[in-house]
Amino acid sequence: MKKLSLSQWLLIGLFLVALFATGFFGFRAIRRAVYWSNHKDEQIKPWMSVRYVAHSYRVPPPVLFQALELEPTPRDKRPLRIIAREQNKPVEILISKLDEAIKRFRQSPRPPPPPATDGGTPP
Amino acid sequence: MSFSDYLLSTLGVYGLPVLFGVLFVGSIGLPMPSSLLLLVAGSFVEQGDMSLWPVLVVSATGAILGDNIGYALGRWGGRRVNNRISRLIGGEARLTRAKNWLKKREGMTIFLTRWLLTPLGPIINITSGLTNYSWPRFLLYDVLGEALWVTLYVLLGKFFSDSVQEMSALLGDFTWMIVALVVVAIIGWKLLSHLRSPTPAKTKTKAHDHLADETP
Repeated sequence: MKKLSLSQWLLIGLFLVALFATGFFGFRAIRRAVYWSNHKDEQIKPWMSVRYVAHSYRVPPPVLFQALELEPTPRDKRPLRIIAREQNKPVEILISKLDEAIKRFRQSPRPPPPPATDGGTPP
Repeated sequence: MSFSDYLLSTLGVYGLPVLFGVLFVGSIGLPMPSSLLLLVAGSFVEQGDMSLWPVLVVSATGAILGDNIGYALGRWGGRRVNNRISRLIGGEARLTRAKNWLKKREGMTIFLTRWLLTPLGPIINITSGLTNYSWPRFLLYDVLGEALWVTLYVLLGKFFSDSVQEMSALLGDFTWMIVALVVVAIIGWKLLSHLRSPTPAKTKTKAHDHLADETP
């Protein structure tokens, strides 16, 4: 058996740390991927624009603009942080208003899908 | 609100200049949410708020310029940078060994640290300058790697445009896993080659046996 020097022991230590880090980040990546595939919604953050939130949550943008008492404009790129500053409200209030509006929209009954136009016979 | 959130919120308002600035500064080595910004830019492209080609060109240009500042610092930063890095990695002899190791694999290292092992990019830029690696070659691998990184992340942002935060966290973990795996491979190879090399004691015994065989 070879006798190891101090620097070699340090190298072994570093090897073990790197091995642990590989396992740690690998496990976290897999856990994130599994979570992501089951929960599509991501947390609303102050950098997001109303249109981004609408796109992310698959909600029509006018529903969210209305919740924030804003005129729905197709090219409004302002992030929630700036809207909150302009309305003189904390951004957390705006985020909770959006959360509620999304929840309400998802719970509301949807209109039936338009009838098929391919000329096929109904079942 | 975090600094990262602040920068992201300015992207929607000011657009390309923010993208350029963050990628430029991030490539020099300051901590910036560059990857997340690229993903968000991809999402904005998908929503029609930004155009694909200007995003790709401006991001790649910012990153390449930042990398070259790092290279220039290493090459022309003089003894101070050399001494600081030498102290950081444990002495002049180790720095020389690291330089020799890098010289053999520099092209591939530069290319891979642009898009796959991104956290190591800034230190490789400085080291490439320190080792006097040919600038046209550095630029070639840098342009190829950054073009791949920017295109990959913007397109990922475009395709997963409704969940860029989750995507960014996943890619972050994946990148650090790859970095750690590379460290495991390098140190493991070093340890294995040390364990396989013959010990002085064994060498002595072998020499003694050889002599004993030769005696009639």
